[in-house]
Amino acid sequence: MADATLQHDAAVGHGLAGAYEAPLFGAYSKKVGMWLFLASDSLTFGALLFAFSYNRISNPAWPTPFAVESITNATIMTACLLSSSLTMVLGVLAARRGDRAWTRNWLLGTMAFGTAFIVLHGLEWTHLIDKGMTPFANPWAPSVPQFGGTFFTLTGMHMLHVTIGVIYLGVIAFRKWFLPVLAAIWIAGYFLIPADNVFHYGIHALGIGLIVSAIILFLKPKVYDAHDVEVSGLYWHFVDLVWMFIFPLVYLMSTKI
Amino acid sequence: MATPATIHAHAPQGFIRKYIFSLDHKVIGMQYFFLALTAVFVGMFLSLLMRIHMVWPAAVLPLVGEIKPETYLSLLTMHGTIMVFFVLTTAPQGGFGNYFLPIQIGAPDMAFPVLNMLSFWTTFVAFVVIIAAFFVTGGAPLHGWTGYPPLSAVQSAGPGEGLGADLWITSIAIFCIASLMGALNFITTTLDLRAKGMSLMRMPLTVWSWFITAILGLLAFGVLLSAGILLLMDRNLGTSFYVPLIVVNGQVLGHKGGSPLLWQHLFWFFGHPEVYIAILPGMGVTSQILSTFSRKPIFGYKAMVYAMLSIGLFGFMVWGHHMFMSGMSPYSAFAFSILTMCIGVPSAIKTFNWLGTMHKGRIRFQTPMLYAIGFVSLFVSGGLSGPFLAQPVLDIQLHDTYFVVGHFHLIMGVAAIFGIFAATYYWFPKMFGRMMNETLGRIHFFITLAGTYAIFMPMHYLGMAGQTRRYSQFTEVAYQAKLIPLQTFITYAAIITISAQLIFVINLFWSMFKGPKASDNPWQSTTLEWTTATPPPHDNFGGVTPVVNHGPYEYAVPGAPRDYVMQTDPVSASAH
Amino acid sequence: MHDAAAHDDSKGQYFWVWGALLVLTAVEVWLGYRQIFAPVRMLEALMILSVIKSALIVGYFMHLKFEIALMRWMIVISVVGCFIIMYFFFFPDADRILHLGVK
Repeated sequence: MADATLQHDAAVGHGLAGAYEAPLFGAYSKKVGMWLFLASDSLTFGALLFAFSYNRISNPAWPTPFAVESITNATIMTACLLSSSLTMVLGVLAARRGDRAWTRNWLLGTMAFGTAFIVLHGLEWTHLIDKGMTPFANPWAPSVPQFGGTFFTLTGMHMLHVTIGVIYLGVIAFRKWFLPVLAAIWIAGYFLIPADNVFHYGIHALGIGLIVSAIILFLKPKVYDAHDVEVSGLYWHFVDLVWMFIFPLVYLMSTKI
Repeated sequence: MATPATIHAHAPQGFIRKYIFSLDHKVIGMQYFFLALTAVFVGMFLSLLMRIHMVWPAAVLPLVGEIKPETYLSLLTMHGTIMVFFVLTTAPQGGFGNYFLPIQIGAPDMAFPVLNMLSFWTTFVAFVVIIAAFFVTGGAPLHGWTGYPPLSAVQSAGPGEGLGADLWITSIAIFCIASLMGALNFITTTLDLRAKGMSLMRMPLTVWSWFITAILGLLAFGVLLSAGILLLMDRNLGTSFYVPLIVVNGQVLGHKGGSPLLWQHLFWFFGHPEVYIAILPGMGVTSQILSTFSRKPIFGYKAMVYAMLSIGLFGFMVWGHHMFMSGMSPYSAFAFSILTMCIGVPSAIKTFNWLGTMHKGRIRFQTPMLYAIGFVSLFVSGGLSGPFLAQPVLDIQLHDTYFVVGHFHLIMGVAAIFGIFAATYYWFPKMFGRMMNETLGRIHFFITLAGTYAIFMPMHYLGMAGQTRRYSQFTEVAYQAKLIPLQTFITYAAIITISAQLIFVINLFWSMFKGPKASDNPWQSTTLEWTTATPPPHDNFGGVTPVVNHGPYEYAVPGAPRDYVMQTDPVSASAH
Repeated sequence: MHDAAAHDDSKGQYFWVWGALLVLTAVEVWLGYRQIFAPVRMLEALMILSVIKSALIVGYFMHLKFEIALMRWMIVISVVGCFIIMYFFFFPDADRILHLGVK
């Protein structure tokens, strides 16, 4: 894109002092845009949670199958996400100080926690599928097929958001140098995950992410500044926030005592 | 005003970057406009086929052949979906909003130009996907634009419910994402890029209407996205969110325990705000035009703003009035009924303010004004049947009859289309640099207005007489067969009205190339888009950011040198 | 450039928030096992805890506490408002399905 765009974005992003009215939300445009996206996305997740609760209320035979190992796993996952939020916010602080090295380190830490979350969740999914849980059936309550459906929809949608988040942070932290890493993980994942596992196909989300981030890096080649880090942080914390509702509703309300 | 040297200083030069993958909001607005124009002709053609099949079921048409009853259901589904999503949502918001919102607030472009481009191309993909539904095995889906399960959720429910329905839902989901991108762009632009002096209460009512529409879209489309994802899962992964235990063709399907009501709640939580997404920009344009062509300030500017805000707010609380017959809790129906009646208040405020604006004005009856008056007329005639349908007791009789069809076509369909026409005639000089033909415009207006009433008014009587909607023919039931003459009349009216739209197309394309050159401010309007060159330069104001000193509708100001004061005129121009 | 979120960069508070979130999570898990409330009560308790947790995340990690009031209230009210409206109209119907015995 030509100079016009970049100048343009600079003008838009950082406000030509004096030429415009003060921004109504007192923040730069990208941050406002991300907040608006998150408002919309919280309604998307909210609708899914409402669908879950609606089905749960109208099906009283809802199973409660999650044994200690499931709950322990989910608790560790929750801790991972919460800790990733802490490293993220430290990354934002480092970026605001202008400390590139530590910004990158903290973002890397955040991505590590996020990846740990995805891997643990993937193992959990595999475990449940092995037990016979599918989107349309489950071994614990044959009359309530919604149990599997809602579980896989909610957690799948969330896992997708976490995956997008990790890729997003990777692009912010390493820009084009992240793409080969992503490609390597994608291809390695495809060959290492057994063909009967759902993630053998799910890993292609990384491929789509690779293509999209390549397009974005091509369209807007730039060095990401503190604002970009903060905006990516907003997205990451939101993903964390959604899990704070999914964890009690899906797991803790279905604890096997 | 910009000099020609600075106009194209930063404009991209290549054809592809300039006209196809452009980042310029004006080009993107134009792209949306022409996409909607294509869509509206597809949608109109489908409605023509429906009307013909309804009264002459055995007719064999050239190219199309004989229409089968299940094809009729496909036609109505695609007509509704294409019209609601790709015309009524796309043209006023994506088209005119994109083009004029940044100019009217004095911004060089949208806040996120790349996102703006992606938003258009995503919409385009959605359109391609939904058109593809016609050409797959089994054809287009049968479930209506509301897509109620179980019909929409079961693959074996009908010929169009296979791949066609999947494509339909996919298209809607893609459209949701496109609208979200557009909406957050509109909101951010309005919040952050208003020129110096353009305070909130100096924004033209068009900007207010696009802004409020964007907020509605932001909050509503996310919910539809979820609902669509769940529907796709029900169809393809065998989940049972919406499907209870069900028997199709004597075969028990694997679903159980789901609730079709859940879809209706989620869908209408989106669907009712969507109605206002379609109509609000029309209200904004009408306010702008009525004020300009009556040469009077808008009557009750603040009341108009608050009325639009409260319509937007109430829009989220009334979705259940589409569901009175669904088995919803009667207590909810009670609440929904009252809340729906409440919308009558801000709507009436708007109507009376429009009348007040015209009252004792020096009205110039040019085509944009005619369409704006037509909008008010349709808004009132369509709106008056609203309180009937808002009452559960009456709705039991009128639900799913032609009364409803007449009601929503008048108020949401044709009124919004009149808003689009008004906007086209009004802004065409700014967009294309030439004037549209006034005579053709008037002929087009009078045929369309008369035709619209001839089509939709009789539908109210049909509905009260008990004619049900979505039936392809009425010959089988004795009392319905007696109403066929009225249906025939409607069909003739529809054929004439639809043919008359060719006048508009001819006028549009002829004027684009051959019309008389337009000046910078042919209507003597006051808002910012009329201060810049025609058509506007790449960055809208040729490198300067305008400074706003006046409200948007200062006409007939006592003591001013002209009968209007532009928003950018120096303070001394008006006698404050 | 006016940056409303510039005056909150004390690192300590984030560690406190992080600790509080972990503790609240532990309380939730403990509640899940102790079942000291009846199921409906437990749902309420868990939801209250989750709302507190999300308020901490939104307020501190996402800096909403430090944004200007208009932004804070517009965003929170519009989203939460939608959920409240949905709550009042969705669940009575789900409950009705249960009581009317329609499956």
